[in-house]
Amino acid sequence: MAQVELKGVSKRYGSVEVIRDLDLVVEDGSFTVLVGPSGCGKSTLLRMVAGLETVSDGTLEIAGQKANDLDPVARGVAMVFQNYALYPHMTVARNIGFALKIAGNDKAEVEARVRQAADVLQITHLLERKPANLSGGQRQRVAIGRAIVRNPQVFLFDEPLSNLDAELRVSMRVELARLHQQIKATMLYVTHDQTEAMTLADKIVVMRDGKIEQTGTPEQLYGDPNNSFVAGFIGSPRMNFLPAQAEGGKLRLVSGVELPCPPALAGPVSVGIRPEHMVPQDGRTHSLPVTIDMVEYLGGTRYLYGRLADEAPVAVEARERVDIRPGETIDVTFNDRDVMLFDASGTRIRSATHNS
Amino acid sequence: MVGRAPIWIIFVVGIVGCLWIIPIIGIVATSLQTTDSIARGWWHFGENEFSLQAWYTVWQTYPLAGSLWVSIKITLAATALTMVTAPAAAYVFHYLRFPMRRLWLIIIINAFVLPQQVVIIPLFQLWREVGLLDNMAAVVIPFVGLSYAWAVFLIKSFLEDFPKELIEAARIDGCGPIRTFTQVVLPNLISPIAACGILQFLWCWNTLLLPMLFLRSDISLTVLLARIAGTYDPNLDQQAVAAIVTALIPLAIFLLFQKQFAAGNRVSSGGKE
Repeated sequence: MAQVELKGVSKRYGSVEVIRDLDLVVEDGSFTVLVGPSGCGKSTLLRMVAGLETVSDGTLEIAGQKANDLDPVARGVAMVFQNYALYPHMTVARNIGFALKIAGNDKAEVEARVRQAADVLQITHLLERKPANLSGGQRQRVAIGRAIVRNPQVFLFDEPLSNLDAELRVSMRVELARLHQQIKATMLYVTHDQTEAMTLADKIVVMRDGKIEQTGTPEQLYGDPNNSFVAGFIGSPRMNFLPAQAEGGKLRLVSGVELPCPPALAGPVSVGIRPEHMVPQDGRTHSLPVTIDMVEYLGGTRYLYGRLADEAPVAVEARERVDIRPGETIDVTFNDRDVMLFDASGTRIRSATHNS
Repeated sequence: MVGRAPIWIIFVVGIVGCLWIIPIIGIVATSLQTTDSIARGWWHFGENEFSLQAWYTVWQTYPLAGSLWVSIKITLAATALTMVTAPAAAYVFHYLRFPMRRLWLIIIINAFVLPQQVVIIPLFQLWREVGLLDNMAAVVIPFVGLSYAWAVFLIKSFLEDFPKELIEAARIDGCGPIRTFTQVVLPNLISPIAACGILQFLWCWNTLLLPMLFLRSDISLTVLLARIAGTYDPNLDQQAVAAIVTALIPLAIFLLFQKQFAAGNRVSSGGKE
């Protein structure tokens, strides 16, 4: 098991800089998830750790050893690819045992270890099949089996669940979490799906444009984001950002709603409130009239999508069984302590009154 | 999904098929008839006389079996060499980075535009210098060399669709370039390699020019066929015999490997497409 450390790492393709001076520590035994929109450099970062891309600048250390120029196999990493990358001409058993065979293990040893890995993943009955005759979920297991059979120091996952259907994705997610509990290896996982990140990670790394926006536990990122990008990226549906004007210790929102704010603050700010913190009922000090466009019914809860008086889009979670139809205008209220303030550049404004 | 074909399609295809088979019937009939009968026209089956004389003469006069053996040796050697080296070249050009990669590729592929006739004179001089005239290698080497233009191109274009992840997975599993090629790429290239092999086989088998120029004592079947046509006498019946013998092998190859022509050309890495 090992820690992965990146110090001032950059990646350039010609003059295009994909990753800029990035520092990151993936702790030994942790399940770290890199998350961000497509093109943010998260996959490139993973591929640099794997050794499939060169490091343009900076140092990459695996288990305290500089690994910039090591071959993938010398780094002790195993990778699970998005489309599984199973060798189509080999049986499942040969796919899983291939790396061991290449490493020069004898046949009996390879067979024993393949069987052991297959037992962990419950795919023993598939060992003699070819990948073409497997379902998506089974292929995924084989791909994971190919990784665990080598007892790598670090597991790398490149969006491994995005080719599965929704139901299978949820169950594989649970299995991955269980697998991590079981083998306690360092895992570095890339996804664009914030739900996967939230459910799997010990630590989430939110990336944008080749830089890390924020690193922390799921709870930290959800409850205490550093900026509006992280606040908007983590949580579903995404946080509502309402434009407001700060002046003399007061925040002026649309429809005459006012909130207290630090007296020093002035100018345009953005008020962030999560849908689950907005309640469809009036009678409090600040109730915002919202015209509902669409209602999404999810059984236990429902999401109301609508507009404020100034046309800003708002999502509201309604847990109670209320009969609201599109076209209606309802009053929505929220608690002062659930409000986050962001300045014009998106940076969080933390203050005594508005910290949760 | 597969419905019954309309009756008119069967009819049309039948007629086309009959038209195509007429020359074959003609050549078989010609080989089995006397010279006078051939002059009358091979299709006068009622009046024509049949004889095995032409087959007998060819077998007696010309080294038919020897030439068949020469043709088989030359063609198999050239085909095998192309089937082994062209995929390797395609792999190197597609996946490895080295100086002047693009230039080399352009030079090789552009041999496409080079007709055989252009190379024969310099090649003849070269073979004379190094003493390779009348040696099988004098034919096999240019056969393989000239095939690279299309063979490398064909396999490389197949590699365009080859999943990149398989190569990366092989790297992570600890394969170097050669192991990646032999263990991961080659087993998945069977259908383009087979297609290459069939095309190369047919081309080598049917080529006349190079063997005619570079071989003296052991001649190939095509050269033999050309020799049978005498200066004063066309020897149509004997030519027909040689043509049948020459055509039999490619026909057998085609029948054996026809599935490879239609084989699917995709390798999947296992994702849902």
